[in-house]
Amino acid sequence: MAALIHRAEYAGYDFGPEHPFAPARLDMLLDLLQSLGHGVSPIAAPAATRAEILAIHDEAYVSAVEALDQGRPAPDAERFGLGTPDNPIFPDMDLATRWLVGGTLHGARMLMAGQEQRVLQLGGGLHHAQKDHAAGFCLYNDLAVAIQALLEHGWRVAYLDIDLHHGDGVQDLFYGNDRVLTLSIHESGHYLYPGSGHIQDLGNGPARGLSVNIPLEPFTEAGDYLEAFDAVVPRALAWFAPDVLVVQAGADAHFADPLGDLALTTQAFQSLYERIFSLADAHAQGRVLLTLGGGYEAQVVARVWAILCLTFLGLPLPEHLPAVWMDRWRHLLGPGVPGGLHDPASALPDLPGREARSRRNRDVVTRLLDSLHRLWL
Amino acid sequence: MLVNEIMRRPVTVIEAATPLGEAFRQLQARGFRHLPVVDRGRLVGIVTDRDLRLATSSLSPAPRTALEPVSLVMTSPVLTADPLDPVEDAARIMRDRKIGCLPVLDGSDLVGILTGMDLLDALILLTGVTKPSSRLEVALADRPGELARLTAFLAARHVNIHSILTHPGADARVRTVLRVGSSQTRPLAEALRTDGFEVLWPAQKPWQP
Repeated sequence: MAALIHRAEYAGYDFGPEHPFAPARLDMLLDLLQSLGHGVSPIAAPAATRAEILAIHDEAYVSAVEALDQGRPAPDAERFGLGTPDNPIFPDMDLATRWLVGGTLHGARMLMAGQEQRVLQLGGGLHHAQKDHAAGFCLYNDLAVAIQALLEHGWRVAYLDIDLHHGDGVQDLFYGNDRVLTLSIHESGHYLYPGSGHIQDLGNGPARGLSVNIPLEPFTEAGDYLEAFDAVVPRALAWFAPDVLVVQAGADAHFADPLGDLALTTQAFQSLYERIFSLADAHAQGRVLLTLGGGYEAQVVARVWAILCLTFLGLPLPEHLPAVWMDRWRHLLGPGVPGGLHDPASALPDLPGREARSRRNRDVVTRLLDSLHRLWL
Repeated sequence: MLVNEIMRRPVTVIEAATPLGEAFRQLQARGFRHLPVVDRGRLVGIVTDRDLRLATSSLSPAPRTALEPVSLVMTSPVLTADPLDPVEDAARIMRDRKIGCLPVLDGSDLVGILTGMDLLDALILLTGVTKPSSRLEVALADRPGELARLTAFLAARHVNIHSILTHPGADARVRTVLRVGSSQTRPLAEALRTDGFEVLWPAQKPWQP
Protein backbone atom coordinates (compact mmCIF):
# COMPACT_ATOMS: atom_id res chain seq x y z
CA MET A 1 0.00 0.00 0.00
CA ALA A 2 3.05 2.24 -0.26
CA ALA A 3 4.68 3.23 -3.53
CA LEU A 4 7.80 5.13 -4.49
CA ILE A 5 7.95 7.21 -7.65
CA HIS A 6 11.13 8.08 -9.53
CA ARG A 7 12.70 7.91 -12.95
CA ALA A 8 16.14 8.56 -14.40
CA GLU A 9 14.91 11.65 -16.27
CA TYR A 10 14.65 13.53 -12.94
CA ALA A 11 18.43 14.02 -13.18
CA GLY A 12 17.79 16.38 -16.10
CA TYR A 13 16.53 19.02 -13.64
CA ASP A 14 20.02 20.44 -13.36
CA PHE A 15 20.97 24.11 -13.00
CA GLY A 16 24.66 23.38 -13.54
CA PRO A 17 27.71 22.34 -11.53
CA GLU A 18 27.85 25.47 -9.33
CA HIS A 19 24.21 25.24 -8.25
CA PRO A 20 23.14 23.74 -4.90
CA PHE A 21 20.07 21.91 -6.29
CA ALA A 22 22.29 19.13 -7.65
CA PRO A 23 20.83 15.94 -9.15
CA ALA A 24 23.67 13.93 -7.58
CA ARG A 25 21.84 14.21 -4.26
CA LEU A 26 19.05 12.01 -5.61
CA ASP A 27 21.47 9.55 -7.21
CA MET A 28 23.23 9.17 -3.86
CA LEU A 29 19.92 8.51 -2.13
CA LEU A 30 18.79 5.86 -4.61
CA ASP A 31 22.20 4.22 -4.57
CA LEU A 32 22.14 4.20 -0.77
CA LEU A 33 18.78 2.43 -0.74
CA GLN A 34 20.06 -0.14 -3.25
CA SER A 35 23.31 -0.62 -1.34
CA LEU A 36 21.33 -1.31 1.83
CA GLY A 37 19.87 -4.30 0.01
CA HIS A 38 16.36 -2.94 -0.32
CA GLY A 39 15.53 -3.68 -3.93
CA VAL A 40 13.37 -0.59 -4.24
CA SER A 41 11.75 -0.43 -7.63
CA PRO A 42 10.15 2.98 -8.00
CA ILE A 43 7.31 3.58 -10.44
CA ALA A 44 8.24 5.64 -13.51
CA ALA A 45 5.49 8.20 -14.10
CA PRO A 46 4.76 10.03 -17.37
CA ALA A 47 5.73 13.68 -17.75
CA ALA A 48 3.03 16.25 -17.05
CA THR A 49 1.53 17.68 -20.21
CA ARG A 50 1.50 21.36 -21.09
CA ALA A 51 -2.23 21.42 -20.31
CA GLU A 52 -1.60 19.96 -16.86
CA ILE A 53 1.00 22.68 -16.17
CA LEU A 54 -1.50 25.32 -17.33
CA ALA A 55 -3.92 24.21 -14.61
CA ILE A 56 -1.70 26.28 -12.32
CA HIS A 57 0.65 28.44 -14.39
CA ASP A 58 0.07 31.33 -16.80
CA GLU A 59 0.53 30.58 -20.49
CA ALA A 60 2.86 33.58 -20.95
CA TYR A 61 5.19 32.18 -18.30
CA VAL A 62 5.12 28.62 -19.67
CA SER A 63 5.80 29.96 -23.17
CA ALA A 64 8.79 31.89 -21.84
CA VAL A 65 10.21 28.73 -20.24
CA GLU A 66 9.71 26.82 -23.51
CA ALA A 67 11.38 29.55 -25.56
CA LEU A 68 14.36 29.93 -23.26
CA ASP A 69 15.04 26.23 -22.97
CA GLN A 70 15.37 26.01 -26.75
CA GLY A 71 17.89 28.84 -26.69
CA ARG A 72 15.42 31.31 -28.18
CA PRO A 73 15.88 34.75 -26.64
CA ALA A 74 13.26 36.09 -24.25
CA PRO A 75 14.32 39.59 -23.29
CA ASP A 76 11.99 39.63 -20.29
CA ALA A 77 13.44 36.42 -18.78
CA GLU A 78 14.14 38.08 -15.45
CA ARG A 79 10.54 39.22 -15.19
CA PHE A 80 9.68 35.52 -15.08
CA GLY A 81 12.37 34.88 -12.45
CA LEU A 82 14.58 33.13 -15.01
CA GLY A 83 18.26 33.60 -15.79
CA THR A 84 19.05 34.55 -12.19
CA PRO A 85 21.63 32.94 -9.87
CA ASP A 86 18.78 30.98 -8.23
CA ASN A 87 17.11 29.92 -11.48
CA PRO A 88 19.64 29.74 -14.30
CA ILE A 89 18.38 28.78 -17.74
CA PHE A 90 19.32 25.28 -18.87
CA PRO A 91 18.55 23.26 -22.03
CA ASP A 92 15.24 21.38 -22.03
CA MET A 93 14.24 22.80 -18.67
CA ASP A 94 10.56 22.74 -19.63
CA LEU A 95 10.51 18.96 -20.13
CA ALA A 96 12.91 18.36 -17.20
CA THR A 97 10.43 20.10 -14.90
CA ARG A 98 7.42 18.37 -16.44
CA TRP A 99 8.97 14.98 -15.54
CA LEU A 100 9.03 16.08 -11.90
CA VAL A 101 5.51 17.51 -12.00
CA GLY A 102 4.30 14.35 -13.71
CA GLY A 103 5.66 12.21 -10.89
CA THR A 104 3.90 14.17 -8.18
CA LEU A 105 0.69 14.29 -10.22
CA HIS A 106 0.88 10.53 -10.82
CA GLY A 107 1.20 10.03 -7.07
CA ALA A 108 -1.98 12.03 -6.54
CA ARG A 109 -3.77 9.93 -9.18
CA MET A 110 -2.72 6.68 -7.51
CA LEU A 111 -4.29 7.93 -4.29
CA MET A 112 -7.46 9.05 -6.06
CA ALA A 113 -7.78 5.66 -7.77
CA GLY A 114 -7.52 3.98 -4.37
CA GLN A 115 -4.48 2.11 -5.69
CA GLU A 116 -2.24 3.22 -2.85
CA GLN A 117 -2.58 4.87 0.55
CA ARG A 118 0.93 6.28 0.74
CA VAL A 119 3.05 7.61 -2.09
CA LEU A 120 6.54 9.05 -1.89
CA GLN A 121 7.77 10.92 -4.95
CA LEU A 122 11.58 10.89 -4.92
CA GLY A 123 11.94 14.35 -6.42
CA GLY A 124 9.81 17.43 -6.89
CA GLY A 125 8.70 19.62 -4.02
CA LEU A 126 9.08 22.81 -6.08
CA HIS A 127 7.09 24.86 -3.56
CA HIS A 128 8.37 28.36 -4.44
CA ALA A 129 7.15 28.37 -8.07
CA GLN A 130 4.39 30.94 -8.58
CA LYS A 131 1.59 31.27 -11.11
CA ASP A 132 3.60 33.55 -13.37
CA HIS A 133 7.24 33.19 -12.39
CA ALA A 134 10.01 30.88 -11.25
CA ALA A 135 11.49 31.34 -7.79
CA GLY A 136 13.97 29.71 -5.43
CA PHE A 137 15.14 26.84 -7.72
CA CYS A 138 11.51 26.04 -8.62
CA LEU A 139 10.17 26.34 -12.18
CA TYR A 140 6.74 24.66 -12.11
CA ASN A 141 4.88 23.95 -8.90
CA ASP A 142 4.40 20.16 -8.90
CA LEU A 143 2.71 20.29 -5.49
CA ALA A 144 0.12 22.82 -6.63
CA VAL A 145 -0.60 20.84 -9.82
CA ALA A 146 -1.18 17.71 -7.71
CA ILE A 147 -3.31 19.59 -5.16
CA GLN A 148 -5.42 21.05 -7.98
CA ALA A 149 -6.09 17.52 -9.32
CA LEU A 150 -7.03 16.32 -5.82
CA LEU A 151 -9.43 19.25 -5.47
CA GLU A 152 -11.05 18.46 -8.81
CA HIS A 153 -11.57 14.91 -7.53
CA GLY A 154 -13.71 16.50 -4.81
CA TRP A 155 -11.23 16.08 -1.99
CA ARG A 156 -10.24 18.58 0.66
CA VAL A 157 -6.48 18.81 0.89
CA ALA A 158 -4.11 19.53 3.76
CA TYR A 159 -0.61 20.59 2.71
CA LEU A 160 2.29 20.35 5.16
CA ASP A 161 5.64 21.94 4.33
CA ILE A 162 8.65 21.01 6.48
CA ASP A 163 11.25 22.54 4.15
CA LEU A 164 13.59 25.08 5.79
CA HIS A 165 11.99 27.80 3.62
CA HIS A 166 8.42 29.05 3.71
CA GLY A 167 6.19 27.24 1.20
CA ASP A 168 5.13 30.54 -0.37
CA GLY A 169 4.20 29.30 -3.84
CA VAL A 170 1.72 26.69 -2.65
CA GLN A 171 0.34 29.01 0.02
CA ASP A 172 -0.20 31.89 -2.41
CA LEU A 173 -1.82 29.70 -5.09
CA PHE A 174 -4.50 28.51 -2.64
CA TYR A 175 -4.63 31.55 -0.35
CA GLY A 176 -8.36 32.11 -0.88
CA ASN A 177 -9.43 28.46 -1.30
CA ASP A 178 -11.45 27.11 1.61
CA ARG A 179 -10.81 23.49 0.58
CA VAL A 180 -7.04 23.67 1.08
CA LEU A 181 -5.28 23.99 4.43
CA THR A 182 -1.60 24.96 4.10
CA LEU A 183 0.78 24.49 7.01
CA SER A 184 4.39 25.60 6.78
CA ILE A 185 7.04 25.33 9.52
CA HIS A 186 10.22 27.14 8.55
CA GLU A 187 13.04 29.49 9.51
CA SER A 188 11.65 33.00 9.99
CA GLY A 189 11.33 35.14 6.88
CA HIS A 190 12.70 38.07 8.84
CA TYR A 191 16.07 36.72 7.76
CA LEU A 192 15.74 33.89 5.31
CA TYR A 193 14.45 33.58 1.78
CA PRO A 194 11.70 34.13 0.63
CA GLY A 195 10.95 36.61 3.44
CA SER A 196 7.32 35.58 3.89
CA GLY A 197 5.40 33.10 6.06
CA HIS A 198 4.61 35.24 9.08
CA ILE A 199 2.03 34.23 11.69
CA GLN A 200 -0.27 37.02 10.52
CA ASP A 201 -0.57 35.49 7.04
CA LEU A 202 -3.72 33.48 7.71
CA GLY A 203 -5.51 33.20 4.35
CA ASN A 204 -8.11 35.33 2.58
CA GLY A 205 -11.90 35.52 2.58
CA PRO A 206 -13.51 32.12 3.14
CA ALA A 207 -10.03 30.62 3.61
CA ARG A 208 -9.13 32.81 6.58
CA GLY A 209 -7.49 30.54 9.14
CA LEU A 210 -6.48 28.03 6.44
CA SER A 211 -2.96 29.35 5.91
CA VAL A 212 -0.90 28.51 8.94
CA ASN A 213 2.72 29.55 9.34
CA ILE A 214 5.15 28.61 12.08
CA PRO A 215 8.27 30.76 11.65
CA LEU A 216 11.16 29.75 13.90
CA GLU A 217 14.25 31.63 15.02
CA PRO A 218 17.60 30.96 13.36
CA PHE A 219 19.52 28.19 15.21
CA THR A 220 16.30 26.60 16.52
CA GLU A 221 16.95 23.00 17.61
CA ALA A 222 14.90 19.81 17.60
CA GLY A 223 13.23 20.34 20.98
CA ASP A 224 11.71 23.70 20.10
CA TYR A 225 10.92 22.61 16.56
CA LEU A 226 8.98 19.51 17.58
CA GLU A 227 7.24 21.39 20.40
CA ALA A 228 5.98 24.01 17.94
CA PHE A 229 4.98 21.30 15.46
CA ASP A 230 3.06 19.38 18.14
CA ALA A 231 1.30 22.52 19.37
CA VAL A 232 -0.09 23.45 15.97
CA VAL A 233 -0.09 20.71 13.31
CA PRO A 234 -2.14 17.94 15.00
CA ARG A 235 -4.80 20.45 16.08
CA ALA A 236 -5.00 21.95 12.60
CA LEU A 237 -5.36 18.56 10.92
CA ALA A 238 -7.90 17.29 13.46
CA TRP A 239 -9.98 20.43 12.95
CA PHE A 240 -9.79 20.50 9.13
CA ALA A 241 -10.18 16.70 8.69
CA PRO A 242 -8.81 16.55 5.12
CA ASP A 243 -9.28 13.68 2.65
CA VAL A 244 -5.56 13.60 1.92
CA LEU A 245 -2.29 15.01 3.26
CA VAL A 246 0.33 16.37 0.83
CA VAL A 247 3.80 16.84 2.32
CA GLN A 248 6.84 18.73 1.03
CA ALA A 249 9.64 16.95 2.89
CA GLY A 250 12.63 19.21 2.30
CA ALA A 251 15.65 18.26 4.40
CA ASP A 252 17.35 21.65 4.61
CA ALA A 253 16.32 22.30 8.21
CA HIS A 254 19.26 20.03 9.14
CA PHE A 255 22.02 21.79 11.09
CA ALA A 256 24.66 21.13 8.43
CA ASP A 257 22.70 22.62 5.56
CA PRO A 258 24.76 25.26 3.76
CA LEU A 259 21.81 27.57 2.99
CA GLY A 260 19.95 27.62 6.30
CA ASP A 261 20.20 28.26 10.00
CA LEU A 262 17.87 25.75 11.67
CA ALA A 263 19.52 23.00 13.70
CA LEU A 264 17.61 19.75 13.30
CA THR A 265 19.39 16.41 13.62
CA THR A 266 18.63 13.20 11.72
CA GLN A 267 16.96 11.95 14.91
CA ALA A 268 14.60 14.93 14.82
CA PHE A 269 13.75 14.17 11.19
CA GLN A 270 12.91 10.58 12.09
CA SER A 271 10.54 11.77 14.85
CA LEU A 272 9.01 14.19 12.40
CA TYR A 273 8.39 11.47 9.79
CA GLU A 274 6.82 9.17 12.37
CA ARG A 275 4.53 12.00 13.45
CA ILE A 276 3.52 12.74 9.85
CA PHE A 277 2.53 9.13 9.11
CA SER A 278 0.52 8.76 12.29
CA LEU A 279 -1.17 12.14 11.68
CA ALA A 280 -2.13 11.02 8.16
CA ASP A 281 -3.62 7.85 9.65
CA ALA A 282 -5.50 9.75 12.35
CA HIS A 283 -6.78 12.73 10.34
CA ALA A 284 -6.39 12.20 6.57
CA GLN A 285 -7.88 8.74 5.96
CA GLY A 286 -4.34 7.38 5.96
CA ARG A 287 -3.72 9.02 2.58
CA VAL A 288 -0.42 10.82 2.22
CA LEU A 289 1.56 12.02 -0.80
CA LEU A 290 5.11 13.13 -0.06
CA THR A 291 7.71 14.82 -2.23
CA LEU A 292 11.32 15.73 -1.52
CA GLY A 293 12.40 19.38 -1.61
CA GLY A 294 15.32 21.50 -0.45
CA GLY A 295 18.43 20.08 1.20
CA TYR A 296 21.87 20.96 -0.10
CA GLU A 297 24.54 19.05 1.83
CA ALA A 298 24.85 15.83 -0.16
CA GLN A 299 25.87 13.45 2.64
CA VAL A 300 23.14 14.87 4.92
CA VAL A 301 20.23 14.70 2.50
CA ALA A 302 21.17 11.17 1.45
CA ARG A 303 21.01 10.05 5.10
CA VAL A 304 17.91 12.10 6.02
CA TRP A 305 15.90 11.01 2.99
CA ALA A 306 17.05 7.38 3.42
CA ILE A 307 15.51 7.59 6.90
CA LEU A 308 12.35 8.98 5.28
CA CYS A 309 12.22 6.13 2.72
CA LEU A 310 12.86 3.40 5.27
CA THR A 311 10.30 4.83 7.70
CA PHE A 312 7.86 5.16 4.80
CA LEU A 313 8.39 1.51 3.79
CA GLY A 314 8.32 0.28 7.38
CA LEU A 315 11.85 -1.07 7.13
CA PRO A 316 14.40 -1.07 9.96
CA LEU A 317 17.23 1.46 9.93
CA PRO A 318 20.68 -0.10 9.47
CA GLU A 319 23.46 0.37 12.03
CA HIS A 320 26.08 1.32 9.48
CA LEU A 321 26.32 3.04 6.14
CA PRO A 322 27.34 0.48 3.48
CA ALA A 323 31.06 0.60 2.65
CA VAL A 324 30.42 0.28 -1.09
CA TRP A 325 28.25 3.35 -1.00
CA MET A 326 30.79 5.32 1.03
CA ASP A 327 33.48 4.42 -1.50
CA ARG A 328 31.40 5.25 -4.50
CA TRP A 329 30.44 8.72 -3.25
CA ARG A 330 33.62 9.59 -1.35
CA HIS A 331 34.22 12.63 -3.61
CA LEU A 332 30.90 14.21 -2.50
CA LEU A 333 30.79 13.05 1.09
CA GLY A 334 33.45 15.27 2.60
CA PRO A 335 35.30 14.46 5.81
CA GLY A 336 32.49 14.70 8.39
CA VAL A 337 30.38 11.68 7.43
CA PRO A 338 29.21 9.59 10.37
CA GLY A 339 29.30 5.80 10.16
CA GLY A 340 25.53 5.37 10.29
CA LEU A 341 22.37 7.00 8.97
CA HIS A 342 22.01 9.01 12.15
CA ASP A 343 24.13 11.93 13.34
CA PRO A 344 26.42 11.10 16.28
CA ALA A 345 25.00 12.09 19.69
CA SER A 346 27.64 14.80 20.06
CA ALA A 347 26.95 16.43 16.69
CA LEU A 348 25.76 19.71 18.22
CA PRO A 349 27.37 21.51 21.17
CA ASP A 350 25.33 23.48 23.73
CA LEU A 351 24.27 26.50 21.72
CA PRO A 352 24.42 29.98 23.23
CA GLY A 353 21.15 31.90 23.48
CA ARG A 354 19.06 28.76 23.63
CA GLU A 355 16.71 30.04 26.37
CA ALA A 356 15.93 33.34 24.68
CA ARG A 357 15.36 31.50 21.41
CA SER A 358 12.96 29.03 23.03
CA ARG A 359 11.03 31.85 24.63
CA ARG A 360 10.63 33.65 21.29
CA ASN A 361 9.58 30.46 19.54
CA ARG A 362 6.96 29.76 22.22
CA ASP A 363 5.67 33.34 21.98
CA VAL A 364 5.23 32.96 18.24
CA VAL A 365 3.25 29.73 18.68
CA THR A 366 1.09 31.31 21.39
CA ARG A 367 0.29 34.30 19.20
CA LEU A 368 -0.47 32.07 16.22
CA LEU A 369 -2.80 29.81 18.22
CA ASP A 370 -4.51 32.85 19.69
CA SER A 371 -5.44 34.03 16.17
CA LEU A 372 -6.39 30.55 14.99
CA HIS A 373 -8.65 29.76 17.96
CA ARG A 374 -10.81 32.72 16.97
CA LEU A 375 -11.00 31.53 13.36
CA TRP A 376 -11.41 27.81 13.99
CA LEU A 377 -14.79 28.05 15.69
CA MET B 1 10.53 58.61 -4.02
CA LEU B 2 8.19 61.57 -4.36
CA VAL B 3 4.87 62.34 -2.71
CA ASN B 4 2.96 62.03 -6.01
CA GLU B 5 4.13 58.41 -6.32
CA ILE B 6 2.48 57.28 -3.08
CA MET B 7 -0.33 59.76 -2.40
CA ARG B 8 -3.96 58.71 -2.83
CA ARG B 9 -6.28 60.23 -5.39
CA PRO B 10 -8.91 61.33 -6.14
CA VAL B 11 -9.55 63.06 -2.83
CA THR B 12 -12.90 63.01 -1.08
CA VAL B 13 -13.68 66.45 0.35
CA ILE B 14 -16.56 68.12 2.19
CA GLU B 15 -17.92 71.64 2.07
CA ALA B 16 -17.24 73.94 5.02
CA ALA B 17 -20.97 74.31 5.63
CA THR B 18 -21.56 70.53 5.99
CA PRO B 19 -23.18 69.65 9.34
CA LEU B 20 -20.98 67.69 11.80
CA GLY B 21 -23.39 64.74 11.77
CA GLU B 22 -23.21 64.43 8.00
CA ALA B 23 -19.40 64.70 8.04
CA PHE B 24 -19.22 61.93 10.64
CA ARG B 25 -21.48 59.68 8.56
CA GLN B 26 -19.23 60.21 5.53
CA LEU B 27 -16.10 59.30 7.49
CA GLN B 28 -17.80 56.18 8.85
CA ALA B 29 -19.21 55.10 5.50
CA ARG B 30 -15.91 55.46 3.66
CA GLY B 31 -13.64 54.21 6.44
CA PHE B 32 -11.59 57.44 6.39
CA ARG B 33 -10.07 59.28 9.30
CA HIS B 34 -9.39 62.59 7.55
CA LEU B 35 -11.53 64.85 5.33
CA PRO B 36 -10.16 68.00 3.68
CA VAL B 37 -12.65 70.85 3.94
CA VAL B 38 -13.24 73.12 0.93
CA ASP B 39 -15.03 76.39 0.43
CA ARG B 40 -15.87 77.42 -3.16
CA GLY B 41 -13.36 74.86 -4.44
CA ARG B 42 -10.51 76.07 -2.25
CA LEU B 43 -8.91 74.05 0.56
CA VAL B 44 -9.70 75.84 3.83
CA GLY B 45 -9.19 73.23 6.52
CA ILE B 46 -9.09 69.59 7.55
CA VAL B 47 -11.27 67.65 9.92
CA THR B 48 -10.59 64.25 11.50
CA ASP B 49 -12.93 61.72 13.08
CA ARG B 50 -11.26 62.59 16.37
CA ASP B 51 -12.08 66.31 15.94
CA LEU B 52 -15.72 65.40 15.41
CA ARG B 53 -15.94 63.01 18.35
CA LEU B 54 -14.22 65.42 20.77
CA ALA B 55 -16.30 68.41 19.66
CA THR B 56 -19.59 66.57 20.09
CA SER B 57 -18.69 64.54 23.18
CA SER B 58 -20.92 64.93 26.22
CA LEU B 59 -17.64 65.14 28.18
CA SER B 60 -16.74 68.34 26.36
CA PRO B 61 -17.41 71.56 28.38
CA ALA B 62 -19.42 73.00 25.47
CA PRO B 63 -20.52 70.15 23.21
CA ARG B 64 -21.38 70.98 19.60
CA THR B 65 -24.57 69.62 18.04
CA ALA B 66 -24.76 67.45 14.95
CA LEU B 67 -26.27 70.32 12.98
CA GLU B 68 -23.43 72.83 13.39
CA PRO B 69 -21.04 73.22 10.41
CA VAL B 70 -17.60 71.53 10.25
CA SER B 71 -15.99 74.93 9.74
CA LEU B 72 -16.36 75.44 13.51
CA VAL B 73 -14.21 72.41 14.45
CA MET B 74 -11.83 72.02 11.50
CA THR B 75 -8.11 72.72 11.75
CA SER B 76 -7.24 75.78 9.71
CA PRO B 77 -4.96 76.71 8.10
CA VAL B 78 -3.82 73.28 6.92
CA LEU B 79 -0.28 72.03 6.48
CA THR B 80 0.07 70.73 2.95
CA ALA B 81 2.64 69.01 0.77
CA ASP B 82 3.68 69.55 -2.83
CA PRO B 83 3.41 66.59 -5.24
CA LEU B 84 7.13 66.86 -5.95
CA ASP B 85 8.24 66.86 -2.29
CA PRO B 86 10.43 63.91 -1.38
CA VAL B 87 8.52 61.39 0.76
CA GLU B 88 11.04 61.70 3.58
CA ASP B 89 10.36 65.45 3.90
CA ALA B 90 6.61 64.88 4.08
CA ALA B 91 7.24 62.18 6.72
CA ARG B 92 9.38 64.53 8.80
CA ILE B 93 6.71 67.25 8.77
CA MET B 94 4.04 64.78 9.85
CA ARG B 95 6.27 63.46 12.63
CA ASP B 96 7.41 66.88 13.88
CA ARG B 97 3.89 68.32 13.94
CA LYS B 98 2.32 65.04 15.12
CA ILE B 99 -0.29 65.00 12.37
CA GLY B 100 -1.79 62.03 10.55
CA CYS B 101 -2.11 63.36 7.03
CA LEU B 102 -1.09 66.02 4.51
CA PRO B 103 -3.35 67.22 1.70
CA VAL B 104 -1.28 67.58 -1.47
CA LEU B 105 -1.66 70.85 -3.38
CA ASP B 106 -0.48 71.59 -6.90
CA GLY B 107 -0.82 75.38 -6.97
CA SER B 108 -4.22 75.80 -5.42
CA ASP B 109 -5.55 72.46 -6.76
CA LEU B 110 -6.07 69.65 -4.30
CA VAL B 111 -4.50 66.72 -6.20
CA GLY B 112 -4.03 64.07 -3.53
CA ILE B 113 -3.75 63.16 0.12
CA LEU B 114 -0.93 61.48 2.03
CA THR B 115 -1.63 59.61 5.29
CA GLY B 116 0.47 57.70 7.80
CA MET B 117 -0.75 54.49 6.15
CA ASP B 118 0.66 55.60 2.80
CA LEU B 119 4.01 56.21 4.51
CA LEU B 120 3.91 52.64 5.89
CA ASP B 121 3.26 51.39 2.34
CA ALA B 122 6.26 53.44 1.22
CA LEU B 123 8.41 51.93 3.97
CA ILE B 124 7.45 48.41 2.90
CA LEU B 125 8.20 49.28 -0.71
CA LEU B 126 11.55 50.86 0.20
CA THR B 127 12.65 47.90 2.29
CA GLY B 128 11.92 45.52 -0.58
CA VAL B 129 10.04 42.93 1.48
CA THR B 130 7.29 42.58 -1.12
CA LYS B 131 9.41 40.27 -3.31
CA PRO B 132 10.88 36.84 -2.59
CA SER B 133 14.24 37.81 -1.12
CA SER B 134 16.74 37.25 1.69
CA ARG B 135 18.28 39.59 4.21
CA LEU B 136 21.96 40.40 4.06
CA GLU B 137 23.46 42.72 6.66
CA VAL B 138 26.97 44.13 6.37
CA ALA B 139 28.88 46.64 8.54
CA LEU B 140 30.78 48.98 6.24
CA ALA B 141 33.53 51.44 7.12
CA ASP B 142 32.19 55.01 6.94
CA ARG B 143 34.29 56.18 3.98
CA PRO B 144 33.85 56.75 0.25
CA GLY B 145 33.64 53.69 -1.96
CA GLU B 146 32.68 51.05 0.61
CA LEU B 147 29.08 50.70 -0.54
CA ALA B 148 30.29 50.64 -4.14
CA ARG B 149 32.67 47.80 -3.26
CA LEU B 150 29.74 45.84 -1.77
CA THR B 151 27.38 46.40 -4.70
CA ALA B 152 30.14 45.63 -7.21
CA PHE B 153 30.70 42.33 -5.39
CA LEU B 154 27.01 41.47 -5.77
CA ALA B 155 26.86 42.67 -9.37
CA ALA B 156 29.77 40.42 -10.29
CA ARG B 157 27.72 37.46 -9.04
CA HIS B 158 24.61 38.64 -10.87
CA VAL B 159 22.71 39.04 -7.58
CA ASN B 160 19.81 41.47 -7.87
CA ILE B 161 19.39 43.97 -5.01
CA HIS B 162 15.75 44.73 -4.18
CA SER B 163 16.55 47.33 -1.54
CA ILE B 164 19.36 48.88 0.48
CA LEU B 165 18.92 50.61 3.82
CA THR B 166 21.80 52.13 5.73
CA HIS B 167 21.93 53.55 9.22
CA PRO B 168 24.76 54.56 11.55
CA GLY B 169 25.95 51.63 13.68
CA ALA B 170 28.44 51.31 16.51
CA ASP B 171 32.12 52.39 16.17
CA ALA B 172 31.64 54.63 13.14
CA ARG B 173 30.48 51.78 10.95
CA VAL B 174 27.50 51.96 8.62
CA ARG B 175 25.05 49.13 9.04
CA THR B 176 23.83 48.22 5.58
CA VAL B 177 20.77 46.02 5.24
CA LEU B 178 20.04 44.59 1.81
CA ARG B 179 17.16 42.50 0.51
CA VAL B 180 18.60 40.46 -2.31
CA GLY B 181 16.82 38.28 -4.84
CA SER B 182 18.71 35.11 -4.00
CA SER B 183 18.19 32.28 -1.57
CA GLN B 184 21.94 31.66 -1.40
CA THR B 185 22.95 34.35 1.09
CA ARG B 186 24.92 32.00 3.33
CA PRO B 187 27.49 31.09 0.65
CA LEU B 188 27.43 34.76 -0.36
CA ALA B 189 28.27 35.77 3.22
CA GLU B 190 31.21 33.34 3.27
CA ALA B 191 32.57 34.86 0.08
CA LEU B 192 32.09 38.39 1.43
CA ARG B 193 34.01 37.51 4.59
CA THR B 194 36.82 36.07 2.49
CA ASP B 195 36.93 39.43 0.71
CA GLY B 196 37.29 41.25 4.04
CA PHE B 197 33.70 42.39 4.61
CA GLU B 198 32.23 42.32 8.10
CA VAL B 199 28.99 40.39 7.58
CA LEU B 200 26.48 40.66 10.44
CA TRP B 201 23.86 38.38 8.84
CA PRO B 202 23.91 35.52 7.98
CA ALA B 203 26.00 35.03 11.11
CA GLN B 204 28.45 32.16 11.36
CA LYS B 205 26.76 29.10 12.84
CA PRO B 206 27.73 28.64 16.49
CA TRP B 207 28.48 24.95 15.86
CA GLN B 208 30.76 25.57 12.87
CA PRO B 209 33.89 27.26 14.21
